[in-house]
Amino acid sequence: MTIARFLPLLMLLAALAAAQTPAGQSGAVAKTVIGPGNADLADGAAALRVGNAEDGVRLTERGLMSATSRRDRVAGYSNLCAGLAMLGRLDEALQACNRALELDDGYWRCYSNRALVYLKQERYPEAERDISMGEQLNPNARTLKTLRAMYRDAVDPVSPSIIIDDRRETAAGDAGR
Amino acid sequence: MRADSYWLPAVLLLCAASGAADEPRVTHLEDGRHERVPLNTVAPAYPSVARRERIEGDVQVCFNVDRGGRPYRIAVRTSTNRVFEKPAIRAIRASRYQPLPEGQPVPAIKTCRTFRFRLESTAGN
Repeated sequence: MTIARFLPLLMLLAALAAAQTPAGQSGAVAKTVIGPGNADLADGAAALRVGNAEDGVRLTERGLMSATSRRDRVAGYSNLCAGLAMLGRLDEALQACNRALELDDGYWRCYSNRALVYLKQERYPEAERDISMGEQLNPNARTLKTLRAMYRDAVDPVSPSIIIDDRRETAAGDAGR
Repeated sequence: MRADSYWLPAVLLLCAASGAADEPRVTHLEDGRHERVPLNTVAPAYPSVARRERIEGDVQVCFNVDRGGRPYRIAVRTSTNRVFEKPAIRAIRASRYQPLPEGQPVPAIKTCRTFRFRLESTAGN
């Protein structure tokens, strides 16, 4: 299975990852408020969430110019990373993710976003490292489980096979175990 | 704007993603020594979570078959992982055997079928 198969998913994952908020709160349930004082960041996140990457990036970049709190800046750069990844601007996305992680290296969503970028760039060791970091910070995140599956499918693709065994000998042997 | 309002679509998305599994390759092994002859054998779906986590396993399901060829009293006899049990039972429930002609007694003996769930590496394909 190739990474290309996941491209639509990548786009949506990026948008949804982007729509989350910053950290400091790396816990499993990050119920924070997206920049209540920064309408551009909030609108940018909303645009990314519905897959409108162009507007999402534009609004997020504008929001970042006026973002003062570290929390808003982390969210902004993480969202920008996701939006740029959606647009296929992977190198810029990576820079944005790196900026977010420089500000807060405990933000699992940003590791998730960056892992997504690495997967798209086929930089699998780096992707694995970020997925692992994210898993340490939030072991139950479903986004990370999906990313882990994408990583496995990229480096070790498998195809399911089912053997239906109606042989009587097998049945008797199994029953005797 | 509250971030928790974004959770629902994420869950929906991930559910959709987890269903995106390949059709499994199916192999049917028989020795022709069972009282009832399979008519329509349904293969179970490979559970997406098992595929994702690279889990393989076996499930043996035993059941009776009525005169019309429908399985009933379906029960898991042995299983290496519970994740495979529901798909196995569903597959048996959807399968059919050849009906018995009028006058021929319905065998009381249970029929057993083993499903082996495997993942084959496709690297290099």
